[in-house]
Amino acid sequence: MSSPAEAPGARAHGPASLAVQDLVAGYGGVLALDSVTITADAGTITTVLGANGAGKTTLLRVISGMVRPRSGRVLVDGADRAGRSPEDLARAGIVHVPEGQGVIAELTVEENLRLGMMCWPGIAQLRRPGRRAERAAALAEAYERFSVLADRRQKLASTLSGGERQMLVIARALVARPRVLLLDEPSLGLAPRIMTQVMDMVVRLSRENGITIVLVEQNARAALAIADHGVVLNLGRVVAAADARALAADVALRHHYLGF
Amino acid sequence: MVEFLQFTLGGISFGLIYAAIALSLVLIWRGTRLLNFAQGGMAMFTTFIALEVIYRTGSYWAGFVVALAAGIVLGAVTELAVIRPTLGKPELNAVIVTIGLLILLEGLAGIFYGGQFRSFPTAFSDIGLRAGSTPLGVSRFDVFVAAAVLAITLLLAVGFRYTSAGLRMRAAAFNATVARLSGIRVARVITVGWALAGLLGALAGVLVSPSTFLYPNSMDSIFVFGFTAAVIGGLDSPVGAVIGGLLLGVVLNIAGGYLGADVTALIALGILVVVLMIRPAGLFAGARVRRV
Repeated sequence: MSSPAEAPGARAHGPASLAVQDLVAGYGGVLALDSVTITADAGTITTVLGANGAGKTTLLRVISGMVRPRSGRVLVDGADRAGRSPEDLARAGIVHVPEGQGVIAELTVEENLRLGMMCWPGIAQLRRPGRRAERAAALAEAYERFSVLADRRQKLASTLSGGERQMLVIARALVARPRVLLLDEPSLGLAPRIMTQVMDMVVRLSRENGITIVLVEQNARAALAIADHGVVLNLGRVVAAADARALAADVALRHHYLGF
Repeated sequence: MVEFLQFTLGGISFGLIYAAIALSLVLIWRGTRLLNFAQGGMAMFTTFIALEVIYRTGSYWAGFVVALAAGIVLGAVTELAVIRPTLGKPELNAVIVTIGLLILLEGLAGIFYGGQFRSFPTAFSDIGLRAGSTPLGVSRFDVFVAAAVLAITLLLAVGFRYTSAGLRMRAAAFNATVARLSGIRVARVITVGWALAGLLGALAGVLVSPSTFLYPNSMDSIFVFGFTAAVIGGLDSPVGAVIGGLLLGVVLNIAGGYLGADVTALIALGILVVVLMIRPAGLFAGARVRRV
């Protein structure tokens, strides 16, 4: 299952390309994904759209290992990772932020950021002196970029507002140095102004930090505005996959599947 | 008044033993949402092992250390061999399995060691201490008990709060999904939790056995009191476990002193009923939403 060049604890760097091929997955008697094929090039933002129940969340859960697919492949830089455990995939650089569960509310802001470091390669070698400096640097970088979090570093994450919490989510994703980032509805429940900020942060993650991003969103308009490619799911099937601008311009498609 | 003070002080060492059991139950509850009915039995078993070592080597401390080590191993092995297979199955399975383990351990102890009450040595004198000419109701050994439990509790608290491993355990307990997606090997963390619980149980066993004598069922009532303390404090709260244990120990000792020892079990269960009626989540439970 793992490619021959891969040593335990080793992890390649930089954004990875992601592809799922003929993915079939479901829960009990219900089929959530019916032979889904999607490609996301390295370093791009791909948004997955569709109504509730279309299979978007299941797709992310299969990629991150939370759900075993019945058949099909999940290729990260060409290597099939389907069926691996979430912990292994996280350590390989696939970071999944589930809907509404980006942070652990009972931990402090700083502890949540430290959580992001748990998937660094070679995490077992905690004692190495270089590691401590590395961790401090990662924290400092996150605090510099998100000064609001710096002010709140010892406060519990449960005391943060919705927008601040999403900021913490993005900051933690930054600290984790993922190769592929799966975001499930990061703008859910946020005020429009905050939503824009979150989308901006997502774009920066992709452009400045070189991360391949798969973004599941209900707010199709905002998502298509920042994405490179778009995929529309309906009842577990891909009904459209194209350049984001083309999708946004396709009025009929938008009306039918995306509600605007 | 002096009598009251004696009863209070005397209740502290038993209270901390209940606290140790309560803490072990809370550790397991937070990590796996299970009540380990075998906790007392495991403690009894490791204490028998300690006794064996003490007989053979003549050294109390060798027995003490071996008991703690055996507790760690027994806890880890139990999680891996007995509890892990029940994951994902109906919750009742895990309950039945821990009760089964309890019966197994008590049966094995009976087979190997017989049912007679054995005396267990103390490391320090158990003669009552005095302040001037007034008996205090505690002995050197009681002080050792308090110090040992408090020291281990403090170590655990510091470990959980300030180390990476502690962060992993707390993360896994609060939200196993996010923890796994962060790369934390939650299964391993759970095993460590059970190992620590085993350590705490083993400690409670060697500390209480001088008073209760050691026999296959000797930890049964201690388990009940420890469980009561855990529920009083709130099953999710380590602080609650310690304070619940102390409260229970002191109250029961005072009640037992004034009303006679027969009444203690009744009072313990009475307190349990009252707490469950007024504040079912426990005295120290914060309002907490747990995502399923």
